[in-house]
Amino acid sequence: MTEALLLIRRSLLVALRQPAAIIPNIGISVFFLFVYNAGLGAVENLPGFEGSYLAFILPVAILSAAVGGAGVAGQELVRDLESGYFSKLLLTPARRLSIVWGPMVAAAILLVGQVVLILVLGLIIGLDSATGVPGLLLVVVFAFLWGMAFAGYAAFAALRFKNAAAAQAATLAFFPLLFLSSTFVPLEFLDGWLKVAATLNPTTYVFEGMRAVLMTGWDWRDVGLGLLVVVGTATLTGALAVREAVRSTRLAR
Amino acid sequence: MSSPADRSIVVENLTRCYGDLRAVDSVDLQIDSGRIFGFLGPNGAGKTTLVKVLTTILAPTTGRALVGGHDVVSEGHEVRSLIGVALQDVGLDSLMTASELLQLQARLFGYTPEAARGRTRLLLKRVGLDDVPAKKRVGAYSGGMKRRLDLALALVHEPAILFLDEPTTGLDPVSRVEIWTEVRRLNRDLGVTIFLTTQYLEEADRLADEVAIISRGHIVAQGSPMELKREVGQEVITLVFAEEEEARQAEGALGHLDGARQLVGRELLVYSARAAELVPSLVRRLDAHGLALEGLSLAQPSLDDVFLRATGERMEDGDDSHLAEKVGP
Repeated sequence: MTEALLLIRRSLLVALRQPAAIIPNIGISVFFLFVYNAGLGAVENLPGFEGSYLAFILPVAILSAAVGGAGVAGQELVRDLESGYFSKLLLTPARRLSIVWGPMVAAAILLVGQVVLILVLGLIIGLDSATGVPGLLLVVVFAFLWGMAFAGYAAFAALRFKNAAAAQAATLAFFPLLFLSSTFVPLEFLDGWLKVAATLNPTTYVFEGMRAVLMTGWDWRDVGLGLLVVVGTATLTGALAVREAVRSTRLAR
Repeated sequence: MSSPADRSIVVENLTRCYGDLRAVDSVDLQIDSGRIFGFLGPNGAGKTTLVKVLTTILAPTTGRALVGGHDVVSEGHEVRSLIGVALQDVGLDSLMTASELLQLQARLFGYTPEAARGRTRLLLKRVGLDDVPAKKRVGAYSGGMKRRLDLALALVHEPAILFLDEPTTGLDPVSRVEIWTEVRRLNRDLGVTIFLTTQYLEEADRLADEVAIISRGHIVAQGSPMELKREVGQEVITLVFAEEEEARQAEGALGHLDGARQLVGRELLVYSARAAELVPSLVRRLDAHGLALEGLSLAQPSLDDVFLRATGERMEDGDDSHLAEKVGP
């Protein structure tokens, strides 16, 4: 366990020494929050829409921060692979799991800071959480876990392609995941192929879980399904990243 | 099961392939505890691949290797706890400081925070980086400083066996001598077995108790530098011609004169126990055939000559002028 903490701390230290990799991501998320809320806020007047549009759109800003911030994990792994420091870590007794998950957890921790900032801005411009502070904390948990899930994917791409440009290109999966979903209007307002895509997209269930606590209350069906999706995806992508680390380096053991 | 004192390396019929390429082909080695072993060969000969297999980074395709008595495949964890490794590509995080890297390495090897700090201070002093500002990040270090820090990282956990993959490639002569001094000290004072790959003949000659020469994945010669050079013959006369064709004609012109011959590009090498006596008659014979020499040298055999005898090619050495001249086909 100590080794995992040491490697997470190291990843945090290194990430904080590259503020240019973090600040634009916060800027984009805040931009999403204000622009979508101002531009599409009238959706809350549509028949069948219940609650405030600010609470509806806030998870979009948060998950965009989550996937953008999680990309840091992939970038850090690429940096380590290119510098050869990854091999140095592999030659220590540290487990492969800790070496690969260190940057992932660090990225998710940094992301929590970004999410808290977005929530504070949301509260300033009138967000009213249906479940109070505990609900807001659950939103942070959702963001952390979804960040881990995407960090696992970014780490997998980094270990598979071993170059920064390819790893960066792989993170473009962010766009369909974020936008082929109930991003701007509730799922029941969608129709045709977009509704099918949104139903298949795991991000939809993360949105639903977050929106439940922000807009409706403790709807355990939506919250439970959302948590199941984030935990399941994070486990899957994390396992893929570790497997790729072992496979790509053809470690003896 | 090995004893704690086992610092040996055994390689048995080991092959490592990359697709169709056999980077290391049926290699056998036996390196006893406490020796400095020089693994010599040109770029792409298979040196780094073998180091990666012995340090558990790569699995062998066939064959097996024991490091400190532990199998590199089935006992990788035990092997990693015994060895220190400084690979050819210095693996350092440029955003961290030397102290941060050393302390993290020590903690990952199980040292307490206090012990890790103590070890860091000691190693920074030992490799001559203790006067570098503590907050200076590794990205601002020179190549020589990075090499020394990399060596310090390899030594953090006091390894019994140290793998140094081309530790002085690209270094200035002063930094190179500093690394050599430290390698000798580690071996002499602490009994560390050292597996050193190099493409520098002088480095192997000066440091190694025993040398193996690898070419295209095969071991082509093995023994102490002295033994290997003795096998070549006592002295080497190098005759240099303007054209390869002239060197070929000269080989015929020398007829039954004493000494073994070897043609390498526009050079003709003559190995003889009485080379100095042979020079005048060689020159007269060439003159009689109208073959003009561009140069002639007489030297004790070097490891380059050993390599040349074994492979028919010169090492692509690329080293300073005091090492073997870069010639050949």
